[in-house]
Amino acid sequence: MSLCNNRFTSWTRRDALQALSCGFGLLAFAGIANQAQARALRRDEDEGNPLSPKSTHLEPRAKRIIFLCMSGGPSHVDTFDHKPRLATDAGKTLGGTRAGAQLLPSPFKFNRAGKSGLMISEIMPRIAEHADSLCLLRGMNTAVPAHAQASVLMHTGSFQFVRPSLGAWTLYGLGTENQNLPGFITLNPPAGNGGAQNYGAGFLPAVYQGTRVGLERSARRNGGDGGMPNLRNPKLTADAQREQLDLVQKLNRTRLMRDRSEDQIEGVIESYELAFRMQAEMPDLMDLAGEKPKTLEMYGIGRGNDSFARQCLMARRFAEKGVRFIEVNHGGWDTHRNLKADLERQAAEIDQPIAALLADLKQRKMLDDTLVVWGGEFGRTPYAQGNDGRDHNHKGFTMWVAGGGTKGGFSYGATDEHGIEAVDGKMDIHDWHATLLHLMGMDHERLTYRWAGRDFRLTDVKGSVHRGILA
Amino acid sequence: MRPAPHPCPDRHQAPPSGACSQGLRRLGAICVGAALALSGIPASTALAQSAPSPAGIDYFEKNVRPVFVSHCFGCHSANATKVRGGLRMDSFAALLAGGDSGPAIVPGDANASLLVKAIRYTDPNTEMPPKGKLADAEIKAIEQWVAMGAPHPDAVAGPAVPQQPASGIDLERGRRWWAYVAPERGAPPTVRNAAWVSSPIDQFILARVEEAGLKPAPDADKETLVRRVTFDLTGLPPTPEEVDAFRKDTSPDAYTRLVDRLLASPRFGEHWGRRWLDVARYAESSGKESNIVYPHAWRYRDYVIGAFNEDKPYDVFLREQLAGDLLPSTNPDEQAERMIATGYLAIGTKGHNTRGEPQFRADLVDEQIDSIGQGLLATTIACARCHDHKFDPIPQRDYYAMAGIFHSTDTHYGTYRTPGNDHPSTLLEIPAGAKVPNGPTMPGPIRAAAEQQLERAESDMKDLAGLRQKARQARMPGSGVKLTAQEQQQLVRARSADGRAEASADQLARFGPDGRATSANRLAMGASDAAKPTDTRILARGELSTPGQPVPRGFLQVLAAPGDRPIRSGSGRRELADWIASETNPLTARVWVNRVWLNLFGKGIVPTPDNFGASGVRPTNQPLLDWLAVDFMEGGWSTKRLVRELVLSHAYRMSAKADPKALEVDPDNALLWRMPRRRLPAESIRDAMLMASGQLDLTPPVGSPVAFLEGADRNPVVDRALAGEALCRSVYLPVLRDRVDEMLDIFDFAEPAYVTGDRDETSVPTQALFMMNSPRVLAAAEAMATRVLGERQSEADRITRAFQLAVGRKPSQAEMVAVRSFFGDFAGAQTGTEGRAAKAQAKGQERAMWAAFCQALMQGAEFRMVE
Repeated sequence: MSLCNNRFTSWTRRDALQALSCGFGLLAFAGIANQAQARALRRDEDEGNPLSPKSTHLEPRAKRIIFLCMSGGPSHVDTFDHKPRLATDAGKTLGGTRAGAQLLPSPFKFNRAGKSGLMISEIMPRIAEHADSLCLLRGMNTAVPAHAQASVLMHTGSFQFVRPSLGAWTLYGLGTENQNLPGFITLNPPAGNGGAQNYGAGFLPAVYQGTRVGLERSARRNGGDGGMPNLRNPKLTADAQREQLDLVQKLNRTRLMRDRSEDQIEGVIESYELAFRMQAEMPDLMDLAGEKPKTLEMYGIGRGNDSFARQCLMARRFAEKGVRFIEVNHGGWDTHRNLKADLERQAAEIDQPIAALLADLKQRKMLDDTLVVWGGEFGRTPYAQGNDGRDHNHKGFTMWVAGGGTKGGFSYGATDEHGIEAVDGKMDIHDWHATLLHLMGMDHERLTYRWAGRDFRLTDVKGSVHRGILA
Repeated sequence: MRPAPHPCPDRHQAPPSGACSQGLRRLGAICVGAALALSGIPASTALAQSAPSPAGIDYFEKNVRPVFVSHCFGCHSANATKVRGGLRMDSFAALLAGGDSGPAIVPGDANASLLVKAIRYTDPNTEMPPKGKLADAEIKAIEQWVAMGAPHPDAVAGPAVPQQPASGIDLERGRRWWAYVAPERGAPPTVRNAAWVSSPIDQFILARVEEAGLKPAPDADKETLVRRVTFDLTGLPPTPEEVDAFRKDTSPDAYTRLVDRLLASPRFGEHWGRRWLDVARYAESSGKESNIVYPHAWRYRDYVIGAFNEDKPYDVFLREQLAGDLLPSTNPDEQAERMIATGYLAIGTKGHNTRGEPQFRADLVDEQIDSIGQGLLATTIACARCHDHKFDPIPQRDYYAMAGIFHSTDTHYGTYRTPGNDHPSTLLEIPAGAKVPNGPTMPGPIRAAAEQQLERAESDMKDLAGLRQKARQARMPGSGVKLTAQEQQQLVRARSADGRAEASADQLARFGPDGRATSANRLAMGASDAAKPTDTRILARGELSTPGQPVPRGFLQVLAAPGDRPIRSGSGRRELADWIASETNPLTARVWVNRVWLNLFGKGIVPTPDNFGASGVRPTNQPLLDWLAVDFMEGGWSTKRLVRELVLSHAYRMSAKADPKALEVDPDNALLWRMPRRRLPAESIRDAMLMASGQLDLTPPVGSPVAFLEGADRNPVVDRALAGEALCRSVYLPVLRDRVDEMLDIFDFAEPAYVTGDRDETSVPTQALFMMNSPRVLAAAEAMATRVLGERQSEADRITRAFQLAVGRKPSQAEMVAVRSFFGDFAGAQTGTEGRAAKAQAKGQERAMWAAFCQALMQGAEFRMVE
């Protein structure tokens, strides 16, 4: 274990900043200040901080993203893609590669909503009230009809290789506005469907990885929000803990100095600094008790399974505090059978909370610069599986965006008369990524990271911005 | 990083039972047709016909099809608004598969054909068409057609003609995929730096490194090496004394002796057994909605640990888990061991509240096939449940060939008919003479709780007869009798009272009044052959409502020659085990050596260890993989020999030192020009923490804290049983699905719902928060401080000792300075005072300060990494 002993003791903060690519913990390393708060302040102005806000390629339309991720593949033809022909052609069989498949009309009625008159299913009545804020992407399509692959593709742009997630790229490109919170939070992500890959940093520095709060399955089972334990040390004062952490980081740095390529150690170092700051901010932020009863009621908190409602409110609170990318997860959309009953239940779980989130953002004047994104890894077949179910359909489905510089009350793209394949305004996952990045002020062709000898992009060699949805 | 996702992942997110579809929709009938064409198994008479003659087809088109179209297709075709009786008649395969009452036709035998019987109107229960008898000429035409052998245009591709099947799966082409070609031991490549080579493995590595114009990293120093190999072989850090001894041992075989000592340690089985338990998706509860506890699962865990410790040949290990009950045993010990081994088949995730026994069974079988497929063969067989595999050459038929084996198997997982559990089963009784512990000792409070539960269940059943009568009366119109709300509740409770009473009574019988396990607790999860083994039918779209043609039990055709090991009697598990644990299976040995490699080198030679199929990633160094696989088989499938070979290689002994040029060329270290720095598995982080603090109890505990429990995990008794820190090794902590130990969970423990060949490795603030604030870490740090203060006198010695306990080395001068400066600042920071006052208070706070320092060592990156 050779250590550069003399350098270790004589390094200054400047030296450290120049020598190392990132900045957290460096003040701690140099041991300049002794007040935890003073350090945090200085750290913010630290130009070497990989998470400090960065300038953008373009004028950003949105400052942050809230991605409402519906895993399992929500049925577009029963929610946001009205297909009257399904009713008239009910029971008709298809030919070609789908020979024998029988069209299944939606068991739900669609209604015109808002001034724009967007057709939205009766199972989303509250979201429909915000129709004039929604921009429906009805020409979505993706590469594979399998959950895990499609989910990983949606999150990272590749299902074959381990790649950084959309949230990680966003954080890498923009930094974050609140250094006391993770810049990328994922609430109750599913353990399956690609697991940590969906919020991973891939080859990007580990500091851009999403922070998981709670797990989906336990939340669904227990009706809680997953919560975040271990936010308080029962023994040490904040100052003493800061001293302790400074020691930890000094020891960590000795490893880093030996070997500067080690992203893993950098990741550990960052995780401690962030954790230290988080414990000051998170307890209040996670505690919904401070919200007005009216707000809680608006989201539907305190009634039935309110896990998703709590997450939505939490998302608003995180957004307000400057978290750059917030993913809220809701599973159970895989309606191979019991389509009617299950979709009704699923919609009931999300309708009010999402509507409340949109209303809440509006009343706080935040919807203008918050990009709300809704959707799952693919849609479902307009034809039946069994008598009351639909299979996976990756060739055409609907996602939507709201706020953040997108056109409200707008429908973009379309599937064919039955909703099988996207035929107009076709947007694949790379296009979708490119467009989301564009709204955030990033040029997807210029947002690159050099790894393994070449510059990588979220969109790899594909993707084009769909300007038609820009307000 | 997580392996490439399973390509049939409905099962990855609380699937609606039975549903696993990849969206590539095919009609069941076409699948069946494909299956017939693909069939390599001796065909039944129905299928043995040669291709129909053009004249026969002509007869069908002229005389039969028109009748079908006008009288039958209205209810029996894809065009029917509702297919009646599950029967479709619009394809040959559909006719053969038949409907709810069985196959519609037996080609060549009109009298045996249900269709003919029905149109003859001789059986009043089966008269078709229902609206009126067909004309005599029409009936005759159909009889004649069936008698001719039912020539049908769909049947042109008979089984004797090996041509491109309708499904698009070309088995011959499929067999050329790298993973399905038998591995061969190629000659290790020549290298320039021959002096570096100490094993053929090194040649395979070095050749690639040299080819890229790089050099292997220098050797790791001794302290690094002893820490690395001790963690890798036992999951524990070396003690300071062990480090010291190895450092001082200058004999040429010092390292070899160290490796052999570690291989012989009982800790080896605990560490490597746990790696297997990841693959075996081991857990002690069912998961899913109800999460019913499996109190006997621990016997399987102990079997696995034992198997690795005694270096049970891997092929035998697999055979025992798949078919231990069917293998001959020479004594009760062996019999018990093999019975417990089959627990592998029983510990999977199950939806105990699934509606309907057939669905529950189908899902159970699916889970078994999926676990075997991914775990043993790195093949996603279960993708073919609803349709032909989308990426790999696995027709749906193969899935049902394997499903037949497990439908002919009784899976014993125990449990009782309690709330949330509609599907209990029996358990296996361990032979009386076997040297197997009865079980752990039941704590008093848990016994008291069981007694209470029994009482409650019994009281729920009391007066039930009277209540039921009253309820019957209440249902009579005009009786005037009404049940009170309380009585209604009692009726609801009574519904589950039988099962609850039985569960509690058995619980109490299994543990004596003193809490000690009785012989009644000698029970195991596992498998046995069903009384009547049968083949299963293909289910179109995997749905029970659409059964198709029965498929003879068998294996994957792409890996087996036709007629290979036919299943003549019994479930076929024995044959399945022989087929998997075989030198002729091109996957089994490769999959295992890849897993072992991954656990030692951080990344698999095939980076997707659970998927060697087309949607996985190809091997980065196939000659090496194949060499290892062949060498492994020729070496008697010995895992210890394989591990020994790998850790003695020069490649394994490299340092993690980065070379700037190599970083540029191969930042991912795909060529293995250095040893990667790896995050320790969650268990090792926890074990190392307890070991440094001197608290770790290396005695393997008997059983599990859930061994006394029954019923759903949402239960205060379960909470009580799980409370508090056990001081045993992490491998012995209970693994309840969705309730994995907090620390293990935070540090990326394998999700026990799935086969996990490669865990996630994250560095997130939740881990930092745990290490900073969790009472468990604080307690361990305090214990370590007490230990260090007690074992050494001077401050310098104590600091040194702490470093040695935590990270296996002495502190550097700079680190010593850093620690002392921390000591200088700590008291002031903790009390808010400064200078002399702080010093005075520091005295009283000495232990707190040392604890904070010890905790800092545990928090450091070095503590959780091995390099």
